[in-house]
Amino acid sequence: MSPHPSRPARLSRRDMFRLAGAAAAVPVLSACAGAPTTQSSAAPGTFTVYWNAGHDYQAYRKVIAEFEQANKVKVNLQKYQWPDLRTRLLADFASGTVPDLVEEPGGWVQEFAISGNARSLQDFVDRDGEAMGFPSDWQPITVERNSYQGKVYGVQLHLTCNTLLYNKAMLRDAGLEVPTTWEEFLDAARALTKDGVYGAALNQDYTYVHPWLAQAGVTPYNRETGAIMEPRADAIAAMQFQADLIHKHKAAPVPVSSTVYSGPQKLFSAKRAAMIFTGPWDLDPITKTAPDLELGIAAPLKNKVHATQAAGVSMFVPATASRPELSWDFIKRITALEVEQAATKETGMLMPRVSWTRLPEVQQHEQIKAFADALPIAEDSTQEVRLTGQLGRWEEQLKLMYQQVIIQNEPAAEALEAFAKAAEGFLK
Amino acid sequence: MRMPRLRPSTLSGRYARTAYLFLLPAILFFAFMFYLPIGNVVATSLRTGPQADQWAGFGNYAQALADPAVAHSFLVTLTFAVAEVIGSIVLGLALALALDQPLRGRVVFRVLLLVPYLTSVAIVGLLWRNILDPELGILNRVLMAAGLPGQQWLNTAPLLTIAAVTLWQSVGYTMVLFLAGLQGIPETYYEAAKIDGADAWRRFWRITLPLLAPTTLFVSVMAVISGLQAFGQAYIITNGGPGDATDLLVFHIFNVAFRTRDFGYSSAQSVLLLIVIVAFTVIQLRAGRRGEVTY
Repeated sequence: MSPHPSRPARLSRRDMFRLAGAAAAVPVLSACAGAPTTQSSAAPGTFTVYWNAGHDYQAYRKVIAEFEQANKVKVNLQKYQWPDLRTRLLADFASGTVPDLVEEPGGWVQEFAISGNARSLQDFVDRDGEAMGFPSDWQPITVERNSYQGKVYGVQLHLTCNTLLYNKAMLRDAGLEVPTTWEEFLDAARALTKDGVYGAALNQDYTYVHPWLAQAGVTPYNRETGAIMEPRADAIAAMQFQADLIHKHKAAPVPVSSTVYSGPQKLFSAKRAAMIFTGPWDLDPITKTAPDLELGIAAPLKNKVHATQAAGVSMFVPATASRPELSWDFIKRITALEVEQAATKETGMLMPRVSWTRLPEVQQHEQIKAFADALPIAEDSTQEVRLTGQLGRWEEQLKLMYQQVIIQNEPAAEALEAFAKAAEGFLK
Repeated sequence: MRMPRLRPSTLSGRYARTAYLFLLPAILFFAFMFYLPIGNVVATSLRTGPQADQWAGFGNYAQALADPAVAHSFLVTLTFAVAEVIGSIVLGLALALALDQPLRGRVVFRVLLLVPYLTSVAIVGLLWRNILDPELGILNRVLMAAGLPGQQWLNTAPLLTIAAVTLWQSVGYTMVLFLAGLQGIPETYYEAAKIDGADAWRRFWRITLPLLAPTTLFVSVMAVISGLQAFGQAYIITNGGPGDATDLLVFHIFNVAFRTRDFGYSSAQSVLLLIVIVAFTVIQLRAGRRGEVTY
């Protein structure tokens, strides 16, 4: 064949190189260059709040309307999932344009207090604390986790904990009692696993490991001694127990790694899992999607210790927020006892005030009371790590270890050893 | 006093000035929207701390080159990119060849194959995550209804699974590129080859494939770049797991920046990734030049 003048036209190598180079460089590099700045929070008359997408309650909407009227501002309630909220917030810190108030999932207040991005609220607490019952009417754990070097930086909005939810009908039909210990739980899970139904379902999210570690008597990190996941043998036993439940006894499905933690709740609501461990945030979806399900809520399991993990969200004010007085007013309004009462009535959410636990709505409601009764044994497992300012790295490694054991069925001893070695590197 | 006489501008000089004037908006746009942030990233990569306000020199680069997590992520990403390149070329070409035939409704097929490419990676990710979920996904229900064993691909082969999902999304675009390439090959070549007695297989190897070399090169360059930059798949479908099985490098960089809050370190990794991408692109283009064929 001979050369042909009508060869199809194509991009020259130079064009292609330019195109490829530009395509390569731009998204990767600009991803780390910080988000574009917005002026929303600085707009006069607009009060910007970063809020969790799942916490847009009617009870809070009412408070927001009152706040707007009283302060002659318009609240710009920006709703995010937690990871997206964090991404946005860090970009805001880098750009210097911050919201007036931030809801956080637990742990960020101390992290941002250490880094200088959160404003101390101590002056407001000194002025208004007694009148609003802070800190005297707040569960002590909620004040501790929002303080740094003796000063208050955040105020708890919800106080929750993780406990055992079970399908009453399934346990009754199998002639089983509600389990109270790990051994009883394993026996029940194995007995309930049949006909496409699992006895239990564990979460792919690493934060669900904390109740197990707490019940095994494990301290994740001790700042004084530097010990990580000790007693180690008990930590290994706790991890291996969960892995065996899935891989050896086949009494729970293998979780799938993802960004959502609703997998067990969906299986439970679909009556494909008889028992799950979760908090009050799953009550609403369960009752809505499976209204005929006979929901039982039991106390957290007991192993060496009778304990569970304390959780719940707080609010803080960015250090460079321009209207901290307004932010504090918002905090005061939204944490009033009557607002807590309305939010609990609406959603079943647990609240941080001591006086909340004595409300008739709490005492007389079987499900809410079950969670409220577990609060006194709820522990804050990451407090010591948070105070090092290394929570982000810790959680990355914890996620890796948890999924290696629970999903990939790697030996717990090896995974924990690798975790401890990695953690020693950044905690020293 | 006589003023010095100005040199008259040449025609080409005037053309050049006009051209630069027309290019100015684009230059300004790229400068402010892309090259300034890139410069900012390079500057940030030389600093450390939560606010990236302490000088670190090349410490972040040294740390990244010695970090086993970065090496692991790079290996994961490379595997993903290789799968993307091979899959894009083989599947894209196969579909283009099939849809280059005089089939009824081929325009509809072409559109259907292109639709996933027009869909955002977030939607595609959510869609496939829900389809593939071993317990709640529709795929296992279908398999079980057909009497087949259920799959656990997101746990047993997570990297290949997200590579396959990405391929599903991008193959329509690759197909269109190959289709354009195929339609640019003069029919006379095939007629001449037929007269010479070449069978279909020989015509494919000796005419189609060599003349598609520029398209193949373009597809492979773009597939490598997009494979090395993949992020949404790991973020949406697997969250980098299980363990670190799908910890793609850009996802890793994102986590270093926004979870562990080390913008300096993440910026250094970004710059290193850019260097790797440019290196791969240059190698591919040089290799592609050697394989060029003209008739």
